[in-house]
Amino acid sequence: MKVASVVVGGTVLAAALVGSNTGSIKESVNPAIKPVGLEAQDSHAAASLLGQFRTSASSWLFLHADLYLHNGVEMRPLTDAEIRNGRKGVGSNPNEAKIHDDSKIVTVIPSEKIDFRGIFGDVERATTSYKDMTGHSHNTPRDSLPLFRLMTFLDPQFVPGWTTGANIMLWEKDREGFRKALTYLNEGLQHNPKSIDILSQIAFCHLKEFGGKRDFAQALPFLKQASAIAHENWTRLSDDEIAATKTNYQRLVVTLRELGKPEEERLAVMEGLDHFPDDVPLGRMLRELNGEVIPEAELSPPLIIKPKTDSSEPEETQKPKIRFI
Amino acid sequence: MNFSAYRALARCVVLESLRRKDLWVVAILGFVILLASSTLGFFGFSGLEIFAKDMAVTVLGMFSTIIAVLTSSRLVPDEIKNRTLYPLLARPISRLDLLVGKLIGAVIVTWISFLLLAALTAVALMIFHVKFELIMVQYLVAKMLGLVVVCSFAMMLSTYMTPSAAATMSFIFAFGSPMIGRGLVMASAENPAIKPVCAAINSLLPQTGLFDLGGRAVYIGWSMVPVWVMGFLLAYGIAYSGAALALSWAKFRRQAV
Amino acid sequence: MSSAIEVKDLYVQYKTKKGEKLDAVQGLTFEVKKGEIVGFLGPNGAGKSSTLKALMGFVEAKSGEALVFGETAGTPEARKRIGYLPEVAMYYPFLTPMETLTMYGELQGMRGRLLRNEIEDLLEVVGIAHAKNKLNRSMSKGMLQRVGIAQSLLGNPELLVLDEVTSGLDPVGRKELRNLLKSRQEQGTTLFFSSHELAEVDMLCDRILLIHKGKFVEERDMSELKATLRNFYVTYRGDVSMLGLTEAWNENHDGSKTARFEAKVGLVQAITRLQDKGGQILDVVSQEGSLEDYFIDTVEAAA
Repeated sequence: MKVASVVVGGTVLAAALVGSNTGSIKESVNPAIKPVGLEAQDSHAAASLLGQFRTSASSWLFLHADLYLHNGVEMRPLTDAEIRNGRKGVGSNPNEAKIHDDSKIVTVIPSEKIDFRGIFGDVERATTSYKDMTGHSHNTPRDSLPLFRLMTFLDPQFVPGWTTGANIMLWEKDREGFRKALTYLNEGLQHNPKSIDILSQIAFCHLKEFGGKRDFAQALPFLKQASAIAHENWTRLSDDEIAATKTNYQRLVVTLRELGKPEEERLAVMEGLDHFPDDVPLGRMLRELNGEVIPEAELSPPLIIKPKTDSSEPEETQKPKIRFI
Repeated sequence: MNFSAYRALARCVVLESLRRKDLWVVAILGFVILLASSTLGFFGFSGLEIFAKDMAVTVLGMFSTIIAVLTSSRLVPDEIKNRTLYPLLARPISRLDLLVGKLIGAVIVTWISFLLLAALTAVALMIFHVKFELIMVQYLVAKMLGLVVVCSFAMMLSTYMTPSAAATMSFIFAFGSPMIGRGLVMASAENPAIKPVCAAINSLLPQTGLFDLGGRAVYIGWSMVPVWVMGFLLAYGIAYSGAALALSWAKFRRQAV
Repeated sequence: MSSAIEVKDLYVQYKTKKGEKLDAVQGLTFEVKKGEIVGFLGPNGAGKSSTLKALMGFVEAKSGEALVFGETAGTPEARKRIGYLPEVAMYYPFLTPMETLTMYGELQGMRGRLLRNEIEDLLEVVGIAHAKNKLNRSMSKGMLQRVGIAQSLLGNPELLVLDEVTSGLDPVGRKELRNLLKSRQEQGTTLFFSSHELAEVDMLCDRILLIHKGKFVEERDMSELKATLRNFYVTYRGDVSMLGLTEAWNENHDGSKTARFEAKVGLVQAITRLQDKGGQILDVVSQEGSLEDYFIDTVEAAA
């Protein structure tokens, strides 16, 4: 793990020297690497050996962002055997439980309870960035923003870097955060003009509420464009893009409903269900369109963040930074 | 204790390493780090202090371990292969003196390269306006102790196997011992019957991970390591290196050359 | 005269990588007295290097005893009195001769100005003072051999154990080395060396030890051996038979005959017979025999 981290990490620095210019690299060098058929991927960094390094570096940084959120405490998922044996994950604190589901996560370094190593275990826990993370909270994600900046600098085609980074900017819950996120996503869109996820995320920015107003009209073109791209390239979409498409259809339907366009809404629902016949929210929306009354119990969490009573409340008051001793 | 012999042998190892330009690799690497850091600064990245520290300790840890393993694992086999061992053994020193002197040389070479790289990465960190913290000193001290364990372990393996095999095994244990230890704990938690076996294996492994305070030095707000822990690391380092040296001697003392 | 080296019933055994046992030295017994120059001869694989290694403690004897000045061979006490030159001289390529010798000198227990002066003198003696600060890697094989000779002489050892001493040296170098070793002997140093160069052995040794397949074959005093190897020839005309005196006689193309005798007494008897029976003596020659012939003959006989 450490070696792999170093190799990839070292590449980050080396690749930074080269920058993001892969335009001059011929596609024929390694055409098989192209992960999807979208034109946006034609200049994907993975089209060259150096590009592969840069892609790996971005992925490594993306994974590293989690370590930043936990202030260096390495976490791992519970194994199947551990789950069978009834071992519980550390879990997030109640304030964050809805955002971070860490109920099946434990610290990589064994806790004192299960560690047979005696003083060796004690010393390891004392010398590493270890803490019993039961009911833990997270560092503010803003601290990891520079990482996202770096990963998209290294690999502009690394879509999760754009979308997750923008999401973190939106945590600011103010106009400045919104402006930054939108600027960031638009930059991502320039590099990935047909990315379903980025288009949908731009729409999501408009659908976030600031001062009691959500801008459905601004969001609609992006949602429509994203679903059109997905529909055209359906057979060539990656798993991530399929997941983004599903969310995009849900957002599109809600937006069309809010804008009072029932015919388009029905078409969108039908198209969505055509691709995702088992999707519960889309099925429920169709039932609503058909005049059915949906029981309260069936309602799932909102697709779009509901208005808050006090949206200007600083994030820090809800999610205090963790400080370890 | 034949200190003049240790000094003579260690100086030979250091001079050879310096002139073989092993340390140039470290210097060039450090220069690349500096250049890359400057470049990141040039492109206007700010707020990457943790990332910069993370990279620094990772690079430091990896390259110092590589130098330690590669230097130590060829100490004795190269002497035999190149036949430089005969004039040495013809001197009125014991074979244990020879091993101790060579090991001291390897440790000095490793420490020089580690400190050289640390100095260069410190400059790189200054570019990122990383503040100096006392735990960084603890990190350096602990790491240097850990490198002694790595050197003695690699030298010990090289007396029992080929240099390549010794280097490979050393890398596996130097980089993988934390994972192996944690894996053993997980295995014993799932199957308590194998706990004694896991404990025995774990006690034999070089616990190099214990000497890596990088995580605490990189991330914000971690306290310094207690004095007793540093004391334990010192004691463990001496004990484990001594044991490795004894095992090397057990093989080498009667080995026909 | 007390002994510099005493070897009694020495056995050296190696294990091959396949686990087979290989007897390199089998029951070897010999002695080298203080102040002697003794050549240790034998064909390749005879066990010469193994014996020297046992003397230095590089290999452990399976059984038997080897003493150096009364100390068990291989101990630091014994090694302190020995200067050793290995068969193949390899020295740290990234050190200079000065640094190399400084290291060996310090291991010998020397230090400071005394060591520095001795190294300077030795480098002068072996003829590489001009290259004392060049890296060993840039030196020729002959120059490295001189570094090796210098290191073996560090600390003025009482016994020099030299394995293939003239290896890599040119004729001038060999002559210089011979003179050096002779002068050391005059100062009381004992020399024990193995060599394939029989001419060197001939010119240097007081005594030789011959081994073959790990076993002792014979030990000869050099002056006695040389006398033994001397042949005497008489060339004559006339119908005189040498039967009973020698079997080595033949007729030359001009009708004369030549008879060879290994001892002077044979020659005297032959001359008496020729004078008695009217033979005409044309020539009488005393010729030194070949050490090589002796070596080959003896080894073949021992095989």
